[in-house]
Order: sequence, then structure tokens, then C-alpha cells
Amino acid sequence: MQIAVSGGKGGTGKSTVAINLAIALRERYDLVLADLDVEAPNDHLLLGVELANEEPVELFMPRFDYGKCTRCRKCAEVCEEHAIITMRDGTPFLMPNLCSGCAACEIVCPVPGAILPGKKLMGHTYLTETPYGFPLVTGRLLEGEERAMPIVSRAKKRAQGLGKELLMVDTAAGTSNTVSKALEDSRLIIAVTEPTPLGIHDGELILRLAKLMEIPAVVVVNRSDLGDVAKVHEIAGEYGAEVIAEIPYSENIIRSYVKGRPIVLTDYPEAGLFREIASRVVEFLGGGE
Amino acid sequence: MQLVIASGKGGVGKSTVTASLLYLLKDEYRFVAVDADADAPNLDLLLGVERWEEERELVGAKVARINTESCIRCGICQERCPYDCIKVIDGDYVVSELTCEGCNVCGLVCPVPGTISLDEVRSGVVRKTTTRYGFPLISAQLDVGRPNSGKLVTEEKEWAKKLMGELGLKHMVVDSAAGIGCQVIASIGGADLTILVAEPTPASLSDVQRAYKVVQHFRQPAYLIINKADFNPGFTALREWAEAEGIPILGEIPYDRAIPRSMSMLKPFVEAFPDSKAADAMREIAERVREEILK
Ligand code: SF4
Ligand code: SF4
Ligand code: SF4
Ligand code: SF4
Repeated sequence: MQIAVSGGKGGTGKSTVAINLAIALRERYDLVLADLDVEAPNDHLLLGVELANEEPVELFMPRFDYGKCTRCRKCAEVCEEHAIITMRDGTPFLMPNLCSGCAACEIVCPVPGAILPGKKLMGHTYLTETPYGFPLVTGRLLEGEERAMPIVSRAKKRAQGLGKELLMVDTAAGTSNTVSKALEDSRLIIAVTEPTPLGIHDGELILRLAKLMEIPAVVVVNRSDLGDVAKVHEIAGEYGAEVIAEIPYSENIIRSYVKGRPIVLTDYPEAGLFREIASRVVEFLGGGE
Repeated sequence: MQLVIASGKGGVGKSTVTASLLYLLKDEYRFVAVDADADAPNLDLLLGVERWEEERELVGAKVARINTESCIRCGICQERCPYDCIKVIDGDYVVSELTCEGCNVCGLVCPVPGTISLDEVRSGVVRKTTTRYGFPLISAQLDVGRPNSGKLVTEEKEWAKKLMGELGLKHMVVDSAAGIGCQVIASIGGADLTILVAEPTPASLSDVQRAYKVVQHFRQPAYLIINKADFNPGFTALREWAEAEGIPILGEIPYDRAIPRSMSMLKPFVEAFPDSKAADAMREIAERVREEILK
């Protein structure tokens, strides 16, 4: 079973909600948290752990054996990314940055062995034990690489492979197809938003994506006293998503964030808010245990 | 000159800083602003844009579709899709349009010709307006579930360049997306320099370091603005990193409630709250941008 924490806009406190919720849900489920914000993964920092058990994510990258290549250009024609350019005589060259590793070129090449399976490193996945009773899987895109999709997909598989009762994913901001990939197979999306015009605008996009994917969504309003909460309720209502929590702006949350000590483990009153979100999620999932 | 504002992490105030910087520079310099965060554009909101003068649809994203009539349900496409985008729903093989990257591998391996087609779909819009401050803004909005392609940003920058020629503008200011993926690479690539915005937290430091590696990849100079500079007094690692890397710090903006409040007013904070501490800091930063960057 999978649930996702997402939010249209960056910096709304999505990761804060994700890690605190994971800690609170740990009492009810055997779970794994997957940080699929592969361009800027931060859950490990908020949990105060160092990434461990690194595994490379390598992609196919064509290498041409010019001794065998007949210069038929088929590989270049089929490449949707236009990653292969050909010289006047048909000699193919790869522009590695554009290559998505899909292997379409290899599939169409009529000459066995003209395209060799080279590899390029795109990023890494990590499996880190945390002191909170659940493991964290993290995907991390290499700087300078453009494609987040393979990392998201591989990190998600690694987390699924652990066979836990509950997989909680923390997605990137936005609504691109890598976010869809992270959300896919979720039973519930917890959309974290802010009541500012920007937060509302981006929050609506994530609700729209949830609707397209036919996944039920609930809304958590962060920094709820810094804007127009009624407007968030109104838009959530339009998408049939219930607002399950309002978290006011809190110095305590910021302090715990900065110290790497999750607020749900403290005695601050805000801890109760996250426990409340957790019990609403448990309710939605129909129990636990 | 083409300058980019980037942060690695979302939510550190990059766009609010950009909006205020544009506001402070608008009378002296002729520039076009580009919002390169097509996944979650917001510079238009921060600049109070109400309508677009011109919009262009962007097609070009591709998604595979399976004709269930001729499909023999052999499963080869599902096995070979590099991104796991093909599911079996009620016995039919179906492409998940919201995750498909459009590589056409499924179409190449399918044994029944014509069963899988690769269809062009809309990926989003690129649009242009003239802000109430007089400078033009190019922005884009990616459609929900489309590949987050750098092509959209490239398209925006091309339009911006054309405008520069038509209107005799000297500079392009690009507000890049968060992260370090294709949109950020398309933003930073071809620029002259990058201004990084970060806040003193471990997460922001980690992300800005990653963004800086992209800047280094393009061998560009970088500058740093520290936002919410007083919000974590014990944390000196951000400043130390900048010093060690030789990245000049353009200035530090203190945490100030004026900033979130100005966002609700849909105005740059230097305009909405010119007497705030944050506005003072921002004016000093603009001064340094004038002296050291735009000259
Ligand atoms: S692997 Fe795919 S993207 Fe890369 S060169 Fe071959 S066809 Fe093009
Ligand atoms: S398809 Fe194969 S043989 Fe033809 S140009 Fe490409 S590498 Fe050479
Ligand atoms: S086009 Fe590529 S990504 Fe899309 S379903 Fe086919 S193989 Fe998968
Ligand atoms: S490869 Fe073609 S025939 Fe086989 S399941 Fe896929 S679409 Fe159907």
C-alpha cells in the first residue's frame, strides 16, 4: 500500500510534513519513506541521517562501432530526443546530454554489434536506516544530468522491493510526469499547500493531477495564518478534497527543522497537529495493525 | 547580458527576491524577464500580471497510445518500456499518459504494426505580457503530467531574445526553476552569470551546492544572496562554503514578515513595504548588482 505527500509549490513544508507523518505513522504500520524529490532530496537532512548504501543508477548509452556501422542513419531517425547527429556520409555521433537511455537506437540498428551498450551514470539511490524505526530510500540525480525520471523510477522500485506494509513517498514540487511517476499507485495523496496566492495556484494544480490520476487527495494547509485559508477550503472543495489540517506558522517548527529534530517527537503543541494528521490518514486507510 | 537567478531548492524566496530586484532595476535598465519555472510559474503573480498579451501553444510532447483492437496482448511493450509506463488494466495494455516519456521504444518492439502510435500532444503554453512596471515578461505553463522538458525554457529564451532585438533591450533576467534538472540546465546554459539564492539551513545549503555545480559545469561566475539570513544564527556553513568557493555574497536579507505579506498583495516586497528591513537589504543588493554586475 502506498500513500504520497506532495505539494504543487516548492518550500511549502512538504518534506516537514512527510517526515513527521512517517514518524507518527510508524506506530501503526511497518513502513518505508521514499524521498523522490531527486533534484533536491532533503528528507535525510531533516531526519538528521547520512545517506548510506549507495547504488548507482546507470542508463544505456549507445557506443558506435564504426568498423561495423553501415551509416544507414536509422538510429538517428528513430531517436526522439535527437541525441544522434549524422555527418554528411551518415556517420552517427551521440550528444550524450540529450540521450535518455531508451535504447530505441539499438533496437532499430540493422547491424549486430554496430551499437554497443555503453553506460552512463545518472545518479544514485540510497537506503538509509533511521533512528526512528523505518528506513529511508532516497533518489538523487547527479548534478549536470537532466533526466529525473529514471532516478524516480529506480528509487521507487528499491523502496517497493523492501516489501513493507506501507510505502510513503515524498514527491518533488510541481506536476510534471516525474511527479506523476512518484504518485502512481498511491491510495491517497496528502497535498501540502500554503494559503498564499502562489500556494493556492500551485495547490490547485496538484489537485487537478490527483483527479486525472483518480487518486483521492486531502489537503494540509501549512503556515495557515499567512493568507486566505477560506480560499484553500473553497478550491479543495471544488476537487472534493477535504482539508484535514491547518498548521499555523510556527517558530518551533522552524527551530526543530533547523536542528534536524522532527517536531512530532517534541513536547511542543505542534506535535499534536502531526499526530492528528496521522490518525486521519490511518482512518482513511482503514485501520492499521 | 543574460543573468539567471537559481536556488536549487524551492521555497527559499528566489522568486520574491527576483521580483524585487527587477522592480529596483526597472527604471535604469532595459531588460526582459523570463520565468523559467514552467512547472510552477509564479513571477507573474508576484508582479501582479492579470492578463497575457500573447500565448503560444507548445505541442511537441509525445505520448504512446495502444490500439486495443489490434493488440495481441503479448506484453512485449510492457517488458521493454524503459520507464514502466505500460499497465494492464482489465486485461488491456494501456500507456499511462501522465508518465510516458514518448521515446517510442514500445512502438519499435511491438510485433503488430500500427498497434502503437506516437501522438503529439500539447505540452503547455508560452506566453508574453508587459508588466505594469513597463518591462516585458515571458512565462510558460507546463500542462499537468507532461515531461518537464528544457525545451519549454529554450522556447521562452528564444522568444525573449527576439523581443530584445525588437525592443532594443540589453538584458535578460531568468528566474530559473527549483532543482537541478533539465529546466535549470536550459536556464543556466548560455547565460553569462548566475545569482544563487539560499537560506541558512542544511537543506538549502545542500541544494544550492548542487545548483552551483551546474553553474560550474557551464564555467560561469556565480554570486550569492542569503535570504532569511538571521533565521538560523548558529548556522554558518552557508557563508563558509561561499567564502571557500570564492562566491561573492551580494547581500543578506533578514527574515521579515513583510515578505509573505507582500506576496498576498501580489507586489514585490520593496514596493509593498519600502520601509521594511528586508527592503533596505534588497536596495543594497540592487546597488551591488548595478556596480558589480551590470556596470
Ligand atoms: S538511447 Fe534513446 S535517446 Fe539515447 S541515442 Fe539512443 S534512441 Fe536516442
Ligand atoms: S543504425 Fe546502426 S548501422 Fe545504421 S547508422 Fe546507426 S549505428 Fe550505423
Ligand atoms: S513511448 Fe517510451 S515511455 Fe512511453 S510507453 Fe512507450 S516505451 Fe514507455
Ligand atoms: S507489444 Fe503490441 S501487441 Fe504486444 S501487448 Fe504491447 S501493444 Fe499489444
